[in-house]
Amino acid sequence: MTLLRHLGAAIVLAVILGLLSVALNAFRDYQMAQVALYAVAIAGLTVLVGLSGQISIGNGAFMAVGAYAAALLLMHLAWPLAAVLAASAAIAALAGLAVGVAAARLRGPYLAGVTLMLAVALPSLATRFTGVFGGDQGLAVNISTPPAFLGTNFPLTRWQAWISCAAALIVLVLLANLGRSRIGRSWRAVRDDETAAALAGLNVAALRVLAFVVSAACAGLAGALLGITTTLVSPGSFTVTLSITLLAGAVLGGLGSLAGAVWGSLIIVLVPTYVTDVATSHGLSSSVAANIPIAAYGVVLIAVILLFPDGIQGLVRRLLGPAVPVGKRRENGPVSTPRRPAPASEHSEEGAP
Amino acid sequence: MQEFLEFTLGGISFGMIYAAIGLSLVLIWRGTRILNYAQGAMAMFTTYIALIVINHTGNYWAGFFVALAAGLVLGAVCERVVRPAEGKAPLNAVLVTIGLLILLEGLAGIIYGGQFRSFPAAFSITGLHIGGTALGIAWNDVFVAGAVLAAALALAVLFRYTPVGLRMRATAFNSGVASLLGVRVGRMLTLGWALAGLIGALAGVLVTPNTFLYPNSMDSIFVLGFTAAVIGGLDSPAGAVVGGLILGILLNYVSGYLGSDLVPIFGLAALVVVLMLRPSGLFGATATRQV
Amino acid sequence: MAELPDAVGEPAAAEAPTLAVEDLTAGYGGVIALRGVSLSMGQGAITAVLGANGAGKTTLLRAISGLVRVRRGAVRLDGTDVTRRRPDDLARAGIAHVPEGQGVITELTVEENLRLGALCASGRTSRADRSAALAQAYEQFPALAARRRKPAATLSGGERQMLVIARALLARPRLLLLDEPSLGLAPKIINQVMTLIAGLRQSTGLTILLVEQNARSALTIADQGIVLAVGKIVATADAATLASDTGLLRHYLGL
Repeated sequence: MTLLRHLGAAIVLAVILGLLSVALNAFRDYQMAQVALYAVAIAGLTVLVGLSGQISIGNGAFMAVGAYAAALLLMHLAWPLAAVLAASAAIAALAGLAVGVAAARLRGPYLAGVTLMLAVALPSLATRFTGVFGGDQGLAVNISTPPAFLGTNFPLTRWQAWISCAAALIVLVLLANLGRSRIGRSWRAVRDDETAAALAGLNVAALRVLAFVVSAACAGLAGALLGITTTLVSPGSFTVTLSITLLAGAVLGGLGSLAGAVWGSLIIVLVPTYVTDVATSHGLSSSVAANIPIAAYGVVLIAVILLFPDGIQGLVRRLLGPAVPVGKRRENGPVSTPRRPAPASEHSEEGAP
Repeated sequence: MQEFLEFTLGGISFGMIYAAIGLSLVLIWRGTRILNYAQGAMAMFTTYIALIVINHTGNYWAGFFVALAAGLVLGAVCERVVRPAEGKAPLNAVLVTIGLLILLEGLAGIIYGGQFRSFPAAFSITGLHIGGTALGIAWNDVFVAGAVLAAALALAVLFRYTPVGLRMRATAFNSGVASLLGVRVGRMLTLGWALAGLIGALAGVLVTPNTFLYPNSMDSIFVLGFTAAVIGGLDSPAGAVVGGLILGILLNYVSGYLGSDLVPIFGLAALVVVLMLRPSGLFGATATRQV
Repeated sequence: MAELPDAVGEPAAAEAPTLAVEDLTAGYGGVIALRGVSLSMGQGAITAVLGANGAGKTTLLRAISGLVRVRRGAVRLDGTDVTRRRPDDLARAGIAHVPEGQGVITELTVEENLRLGALCASGRTSRADRSAALAQAYEQFPALAARRRKPAATLSGGERQMLVIARALLARPRLLLLDEPSLGLAPKIINQVMTLIAGLRQSTGLTILLVEQNARSALTIADQGIVLAVGKIVATADAATLASDTGLLRHYLGL
């Protein structure tokens, strides 16, 4: 049964990650936590974009919702950590519901534009209602210390890594099952041909909204974890660049692929640090060095779309063959929607006679 | 009443900026069904070029016109980059133009650094008065509105009355038939992007005195320009101009009466409201595939 | 190489035929729609291309005009090899293709459609020249003159067919490719259109390759006909012979 197989894989991974976290130093543990939480965010996004075919350049805003929710809950109510995380995801899911409903009839660039506007507008709420949200400074996050049964010298960073990885594994298992379920199949049907799906009796609007809710919940959970691992939430952490970076991670890893979400997350967490280190060691100023990964994402994103529509996971699959699981290779690029006639250029071929 | 007048006139200036961005988006959309998410970033980049020229020569107009020329070139170059994604699934083009967006912002950060720089205005920015009444605008605002209007009119003349404009429209409406009529479709598309780059560059140098120049300075302007284009309907150049004006004035009321940090939220609300009523914009063609 | 059917029309043996198609093989993606088709036409000839749906008639025209990639074989215009050139290149070189469904650009006005045709003509560069050519077109097609400023979308089927033929003529082509001009038209209008096409040879010496499902109408104005089935030529003869061969027509065209 699929669920058992996924759970089994998750348990094995949990053990491996646990051992890894002990072997690595505090900074690496911190990075592991980052990779895990961004994997959650990217996984939600890749389901939205890759499986249900809806573009979002605004999932950073949902991360902000989850992060601020967690910060406020920890500040004002003494809930246990698991409850805080669940609640943050739920609150972000509500935001996703609102956005999904508002955008249910929107397609393509219109939908993308609304989500982009969301990414720009939402952080400004924090500066507007400074009393509640702490303005530009943001809010400090009261993190809990590791539970007593782990021992008094249990490093905080390792604890954070454990929480993040646990959350990531749970989310990935859930999403994997969702992807293989009837809902997942329905999403793909809507993505590939909406009219046909509607004619076949699928409730297209509800499915689209559901995808938004799921991706927002994931982003919210990731945001909460971000707040917990960095102990601070502020508008500056949730810019448009974050939303775009998430999208870049999803694409680079391979849209629609959960394993790809992990690849993407590894890239967006590890590459900037590495590149910045290399750049500063060559004498470049830190602000210049910080921009190199951004420019690089741009180049790679363009190159990947034009040359490798299936991203890294697609490449891996091609190299390793059919042993590696995942979705079908799509001819037209990340999303296989019916091709519209290309402008007649070099040697165009139009439809059959 | 006085305030109302000031806010209305002041809104026109920003509105024309949104109109300009919206116009450049429509230019590209009509020909290729691609929304150029990098339009704002392109404008930011050409504004940096203008600043360098201005600093070197001490002449504002030299920078101004070099920026426009750079906009033409950058637009043409970007079209070649995006071309392989034309005609494929829409998501590909979205991702490529987003890639361009962050590439340009990253490059700007690398080349020029992230600090906020000031950018000069073309004309005086002191408020104008008629009799004793403050108008809320300055000569520079009049220039901004005039320049964008002139550009829009020039484009309209180009499209309506010149052979190249006719070829571009034919390409936009039916590129297959156009090629059978001897139109070099690829060249027309490049020209469309180049003109869009030009208008975007114009918007960039006109608005940056207000926003300061930094790699992300055109992000919110772009989003509002997109909103203007959507409100007008992505197929309609006139709609983009009208949409821009409406949006500019409306948001200026918000900024004046409610506070400037509420502007993005109201922009979002305006966009959502318009799209919920008309999913293809106010003047856009409605798709007929609903079941 | 297969024997080419005899060229019909004017030229002396030494001159290159206006259109020479040699062993043409073309298709879309993985599907070959045209296999080893050859034909030859001299100036002023009218050849009808007949066949059932999917036989490859439209593909033949598209392969000649550059819209479809040629896998093997060659297309020559007045002796020059024009295979694999881009459609806009070929249009400017003198191949006018009026596609199936007419290809009216409905968002433009009648006059703008015509102007596009005039702009395509090589060697005619001044605005005055083009205006003169347009005036001449309006004389020849008064129905279009009456509606010159209207959006082309407002024209009836028959008027649209006139428009695209007039537009094609303004480009001063050597070769006119017509794809199903009678499609969707009432019988009376079909007659008008066919008469117009026949008249073109008189007035302009144009060479015309005419694809038609409506075999009878086409054969009344053509000199020669070829019948395609599954991408190959299965019959070639002069028009009269084909028209009277009811067995053949019924077999390949279901008439």
